[in-house]
Amino acid sequence: MNDITLTEDQRDCLQELINVAMGQASDKLARYLQTFVHLQVPYIELIDSTVLPERFAETYAEEGVSLVSQGFYGEKGILGESLLIYKSHDAHGIAEILGYEPDDVSEVEQLTDISSILTTTFLNGLAEQIDNQLAYSAPRVVSSMETPLEQHLQQLSFNWDLALKVDISYQVVDFSFNCDMVLLIPGEAIKNIQKVLDQILDEF
Amino acid sequence: MDVAAVQSQLIERINSGVLVVDQNCCLLYFNRFMESHSLLQASEVIGKNLFDIFPDAPQRWLQRKIQSVFMLNTPAFSSWEQRQFVFKMRHARPVTTSSEYMAQNITFIPICSDGQSEPDKVGIIVEDMTDVFFYQQKLKDTLKELEEVSRTDGLTKVSNRRYWEERFRIEFETAQRHEHDLSLIMFDLDKFKRINDEYGHQAGDLVLVKATELVQQILRKGDLLGRYGGEEFGIILPNTADKGAYELAERIRSQFSLLTMQHDNRSINATMSMGICQFDSRFTRFEDMVTRADLALYQSKREGRNQVTIYQA
Amino acid sequence: MSIPVLICDDSALARKQVKKSLPSEWDVEVQFATNGREALEVLREKQIGVLFLDLTMPEIDGVGVLEANHAEKLVDFIIVVSADIQPEMQSRVSELGALAFIQKPVNTTKLTEILQQYGLL
Repeated sequence: MNDITLTEDQRDCLQELINVAMGQASDKLARYLQTFVHLQVPYIELIDSTVLPERFAETYAEEGVSLVSQGFYGEKGILGESLLIYKSHDAHGIAEILGYEPDDVSEVEQLTDISSILTTTFLNGLAEQIDNQLAYSAPRVVSSMETPLEQHLQQLSFNWDLALKVDISYQVVDFSFNCDMVLLIPGEAIKNIQKVLDQILDEF
Repeated sequence: MDVAAVQSQLIERINSGVLVVDQNCCLLYFNRFMESHSLLQASEVIGKNLFDIFPDAPQRWLQRKIQSVFMLNTPAFSSWEQRQFVFKMRHARPVTTSSEYMAQNITFIPICSDGQSEPDKVGIIVEDMTDVFFYQQKLKDTLKELEEVSRTDGLTKVSNRRYWEERFRIEFETAQRHEHDLSLIMFDLDKFKRINDEYGHQAGDLVLVKATELVQQILRKGDLLGRYGGEEFGIILPNTADKGAYELAERIRSQFSLLTMQHDNRSINATMSMGICQFDSRFTRFEDMVTRADLALYQSKREGRNQVTIYQA
Repeated sequence: MSIPVLICDDSALARKQVKKSLPSEWDVEVQFATNGREALEVLREKQIGVLFLDLTMPEIDGVGVLEANHAEKLVDFIIVVSADIQPEMQSRVSELGALAFIQKPVNTTKLTEILQQYGLL
């Protein structure tokens, strides 16, 4: 359906930008959460969003998941939607990481709060490197623990052409949790990102 | 155009609350929307601590949130769906809305001084979501009503066949999985056609309503009565063997036979015939139980009506 | 005479970024390696003045190169260039003999300061 692919140079460039953004994000998070944040170098993959449901079906087979979505948009026609996917047993105890007391927040609010922090800190780092500024919509929980992830992804993939899949795993001392980050990006915006990547590549 | 002047007037008059705080949560700015909804004057709150001005605000959570905006230099959010309000204020729909306080969506934005890359202020935008809150509530109520209606039989108000069968399938599968007891009673009104012919269709309807009312009174929590069609009904009895089902059916049958109903100053008496089938692990579908309970019901009819028969394999 | 410099990073962009951020007045001859194994091959073959080293790479990573260098004494000046800038990682690489630690993306001013500090410029 779509023929957008990244060249090897563009892919390398994007991976490097993401690695750097991740490094910056984990440094900031470590200071905010007052603990060490161990961050694996994310593995990025650009995939057709129609195959997204089956890709995730395996990873999250037979497990409850929570899905939090947050829109972002910036200059030069760059926009998309970020999805954070948590296994439900990883979603417990987030309040503690965030420094809240358990009765301060509901479970859903813990998820939206941590998601927003991870997404905006990471994407701001990415935007800064490409000389862009992003604005964000409020995070929303789009699936509860009970509804199958596949169904939601199927619905979402109608609206987006490509998905940039970034596997992130955060480990905080005494506590670890993993989540998958997926950046859903419409075809037009992918082209705009390619232009930006080419500009960076030309500079060096 | 003097952009700064226009901007400041817009922010002052916009239909959302705008506040600015410094790193100590001291208020630096408070727009007109905030003034009129909190019943406070900007002049009395500027320079004061946010938590002194809004003592009901969730302090620990809010402080941590504002801290994240300063430290991470990213926006933060709060949604009415998770937290109906942060700042306890009146809303602008006192007449049409049942909720007492303004439902709020809040955005916290990092603000840097000229030439700085790290924020030294946080802007807080408060949007009034009371309308959305109100309509969402109404929608929820309506959906609930619709769900009720879609599973209820219009005349007797018991479960309709579609919903009853859906529930029966679930109970049947539970019995299969856990080898629990499960019984089914099927019953129908004896000589119902004659009642209709003799007293009129309204009288027929009355008999159906009275019969289901009586059954509902006798049933236990967890039992489910449904209208299977015409004058035929089914009762699902989870965790019940045929002996228990028989006792219950007998009680229903005998009490109904003693019931005298009044229609147009005429007294009507009616009876019902009943058939019972108990779950057996050899059954593969819930319909297997319906067929067998029906066979037992026909036997009750053949043997003179107004009686209960347990299906024997 | 130019100083032989080796830039080791698996990302082409990162290699170019480092090269471009080298101060223009610094007389160097730049060579590249795309992972730790390649870097060690170059280091064992010829004299290198300064090594710019990424940490996360396939085959042999930056820490692996530091460990080998610690044992074999191949190069004196190693500057780690990494996206992971957390304190525990910084102290680990300095124990293994790295001179300095620079956060990605590389900034020329910062780099110049470090080079001057160690008398390389």
